[in-house]
Amino acid sequence: MLEKPVAESPWWRSLSNPRLLGTRLSSNVELLINFIVVVATIVFILSQGSGFGIRIAQLFAIFAILAVSLNLVIGYTGLLSLAHVAFFGVGAYSVAILTTDAAYEQVPGHIPHFGLSFFTALFVGMAITGVVALFVGGVLSRFRDDIFVLVSVGFAVISHRIFLFWQPVTRGPFGIHAIAKPEVGGMVIDSRLEFLFLTLAFLVIVFLISWLIVRSSFGRVLMAIREDEQAIEVFGYKARYFKLTIWVISAMMAALAGGITASEQTFIDPQSFVLLESILLVTIVILGGLGTLWGSLLGALVFVLLNEGMRFVPFLPGELIGQARLAILGIVIVLLMLFRPQGLVGRFKL
Amino acid sequence: MSEAGKQQDNEFAIQTRGLLKQFASVRAINNLSIALPREGITSIVGPNGSGKSTLINLLSGTLPIDEGLVIIEGMSLRAILPYDSPNHGITRTFQEVRLFDQMTVLDNLLVILTKREVFGSLFEPPRASYRNRARQLLDSVGLWDKRQDMAANLSYGQRKLLEVSRALAMDVQIYLFDEPFAGLFPAMLERVKGLLEGLRRERKTIIFIEHNMDLIRQLSDYTFVLDSGELLAEGEVQEVLAKPEVIEAYLGT
Amino acid sequence: MKILNADKRLPALPRSIIGHPLVSIVVAGVIIYLALLLGQSADQFLQFSINGIVIGAIYAIVAMGFNIVYGTVWFFDLSYGAMATMGAYSVFYFTGRQIQTVGRGEINNLYLDIFMGILIAGVVAWVLYVWIYPELRSRINRITLLAVGALVALATGAYTGLILAHPADLNVFLSPTIGLLVATASGCVLYLGALSGIGSGRGLILFLVLGLPGALALGGYSGWLVADTLSTRLYLSWFMGAILAGASGLAIYRGVYFYLRRQARSPLVMLVGSLGFLLSITAFIAIIFSPDGRPLAQPFGTVPWSLAGAFIKPFQVLIIGIAFAIFGGLYLLLNKTSFGTAVRAIGDDEEVARIVGINTPVVIAVIFFLGATIAGLGGILLGEDIGIRPQMGLLLLLKGWIASVVGGIGNIYGALLGGFVLGMVENYGVWYIPAQWKDAVAFVLLIFFLSFWPRGLLPRR
Repeated sequence: MLEKPVAESPWWRSLSNPRLLGTRLSSNVELLINFIVVVATIVFILSQGSGFGIRIAQLFAIFAILAVSLNLVIGYTGLLSLAHVAFFGVGAYSVAILTTDAAYEQVPGHIPHFGLSFFTALFVGMAITGVVALFVGGVLSRFRDDIFVLVSVGFAVISHRIFLFWQPVTRGPFGIHAIAKPEVGGMVIDSRLEFLFLTLAFLVIVFLISWLIVRSSFGRVLMAIREDEQAIEVFGYKARYFKLTIWVISAMMAALAGGITASEQTFIDPQSFVLLESILLVTIVILGGLGTLWGSLLGALVFVLLNEGMRFVPFLPGELIGQARLAILGIVIVLLMLFRPQGLVGRFKL
Repeated sequence: MSEAGKQQDNEFAIQTRGLLKQFASVRAINNLSIALPREGITSIVGPNGSGKSTLINLLSGTLPIDEGLVIIEGMSLRAILPYDSPNHGITRTFQEVRLFDQMTVLDNLLVILTKREVFGSLFEPPRASYRNRARQLLDSVGLWDKRQDMAANLSYGQRKLLEVSRALAMDVQIYLFDEPFAGLFPAMLERVKGLLEGLRRERKTIIFIEHNMDLIRQLSDYTFVLDSGELLAEGEVQEVLAKPEVIEAYLGT
Repeated sequence: MKILNADKRLPALPRSIIGHPLVSIVVAGVIIYLALLLGQSADQFLQFSINGIVIGAIYAIVAMGFNIVYGTVWFFDLSYGAMATMGAYSVFYFTGRQIQTVGRGEINNLYLDIFMGILIAGVVAWVLYVWIYPELRSRINRITLLAVGALVALATGAYTGLILAHPADLNVFLSPTIGLLVATASGCVLYLGALSGIGSGRGLILFLVLGLPGALALGGYSGWLVADTLSTRLYLSWFMGAILAGASGLAIYRGVYFYLRRQARSPLVMLVGSLGFLLSITAFIAIIFSPDGRPLAQPFGTVPWSLAGAFIKPFQVLIIGIAFAIFGGLYLLLNKTSFGTAVRAIGDDEEVARIVGINTPVVIAVIFFLGATIAGLGGILLGEDIGIRPQMGLLLLLKGWIASVVGGIGNIYGALLGGFVLGMVENYGVWYIPAQWKDAVAFVLLIFFLSFWPRGLLPRR
């Protein structure tokens, strides 16, 4: 067990004492950032009504799962992967294809349908993603630094092209419609609120698992690999297997997020799984902070706020919101790298 | 040293046969056949670029062997994989200190103590025994108070000490120290010396690289002199350091 | 921590791969595959080869620009892709009225003009400060010198803003510059010619009497020619696009990378920082010019020549020519000048280069300018060939990177070869499958090369 220095009592203690809270906030930048973001979210959601709040929360939960799982790979193991969207996509497409039974065909030709239930499909999809990730990770484990990034970009692009052009299975650019909703004990989870709770439950599970991994001896080895792979190997660790394991775990978490998204939207097409999404995920993780799980939650929250807040900028035409978001994110990333390379609340500097 | 005579009869800890390592056109280790004695402290000396560090890198698997054979505890090896070196009973420190910079001092040691298997470490709960061992090691180098600091924030000497204690944490038979004394203040130097002598009392094999002749005289039981990747001389310290060719190699270059 | 050369980051090369049986099998397989294709349809084979060479030339251009930057600073500069997009969109900006399909009509953005003006002014000011100022510092009053420099920089910035504010009259506004450039260049040539031909004393007089007026007349005439002919606008816009991209590349280096590199622990910091630039520049371009793809104004030679059953546009021949011209220029620059020596020294070890007395920030800045200029040109040529999109830069950059990995990272020979190989492989690879798979084929090639032949066809050194 790690010991905390005596001075650092848990931050929530100070909530009961306003004066203490004030001094703590002014002395602790990270806490201040947390505080501002959370308050801003609450104000924002309250001002917009519950329907909007649910939508934001849903978006946040998905991005949070993706960011937390990606942080395991980038922040803890030091592998800057841009292939995460590929696993997100494989998970989404697996669930979509495995659950479809209504013959909803826009393209001629035989499209297989399996008619599995959502949860079965989700687990099968995660297993499929795990196998894919094992293969991809095996290729990637030979490379480091920017070569690694390039090859991971390659897998992201290849997976997108497969979603787009392997029409007999993925229905190509038309996408897959009418994806089944999950059923729990005979009750179909249909409303947005119910789905939000399901997603949040998955987020909690993913977060807990990640937290346990990070706290375990395994997590410590991952950090050592991030710091100096050659040195940790000399002490008897087969770094390659450690990297592969965390890679597969992270990919399966991404697949989970993909499956939920597919079912929640009831429609997916290849445009949701382009390289840009991967880049966005990396920026979220770096923004929140590498090597801290809370940071990833915070990063996802900031991202969602930015995303939705853009709609209320007065002089911005609707079709440019996405672009304006990218422009701001890009500038933020450059500034972060210059002035705060550990991200908003992180410890690890890239 | 009274052990010197015994070493000739005893087995050797590590032997090399025709060891060769080439960088581009330079042979860093050229057809080197030496036998490092078991137990006690052995020093490797030689001018800069004579292949001392390369030898340690080869023995610990940090660099792949180009040609030749390494015999460790009677086992002949044509290649040593880095993660296999502890299985052969070898651990090492690095010349340029290579700590896990953005981890705490305590984690730097705990990571050495925990299980090596992927799933073993994944499901391993934090154990008090590891923590006690880490405390013992950190106490021995006086870093327990700094356990929550990032390794990157330590002073140079403290980093060096931490690296030595990281090697001690491995608890193996053969310790390779690559210039453990370089750049240390006298107080810290004494500390490292104490650690090495402690290892000798535990009848371990210690091999270290050093430039300081006083330290070599004080510590080592046996000495090898390398020059241009080849063995120049070996034997007991006083004899070896008195040999004309050794003096020439040091002063001449 | 120092950022290592890419050589040290590449996976270890399996020993003596040339003699490995696998290599012969692969080579034999490729030859059989090509023979099979040729046997099926010679016309189509020729057409695919031409397509491959043309697109390969563009990849080669991008890869060369990328490689001189990568081989010097050893980090992967993603903003390089944004420079390619910038070049292409400058051309669109200046020639917009000729296109019928433009949604927004003429785009003229005051903020953009001011921003680019300031950027150019900054770049010029910095160049003057590091280049001219140290030379004259000891001779002329410093205050005067700085004031004059600032004035020159401001004037250049204002001039750029003016050009940008009147994209439709590019040829008119640019003509004085062109005239000046031609006059200076011909003046230099005549001066050197007169000196070497006749001897220094009389040569100078002869030059002053005949050469100087001649050069001025030539400059004036070419300026007038440019101003008077509408069709020159397109090619002037290429020039402007490349220059603007180059200046932006320099500005990004001096403004951000210079500081980022000092504190970076790993090449990933630089990569992520440049990713930020790529994201935001691409997004700004999409905001200003709309995110949709569009064609560029057609240059000369869009009527294809028929060539033994296949077709090639004269413009595409020009692309290939430009690729080789850039290669030649870079070859001379890197191998025959002291600047090239400095570049290679920095690429080998920046610390040592600095100790030896090379002014590393300036040399690297020039490299960034050159690289971004070449990227801009690559973007322009690709845009002319198949149209422009704000996102074109990223994929073009990745292709350039793949080409340089295939050819051998960090040198221009590898880039040239790798570009053509990549273009050919992409085209032959999609013989049996739909052409959309080209990008996937390119990345499969990359993974293959990195796994089995990480140093590429022509390794550095």
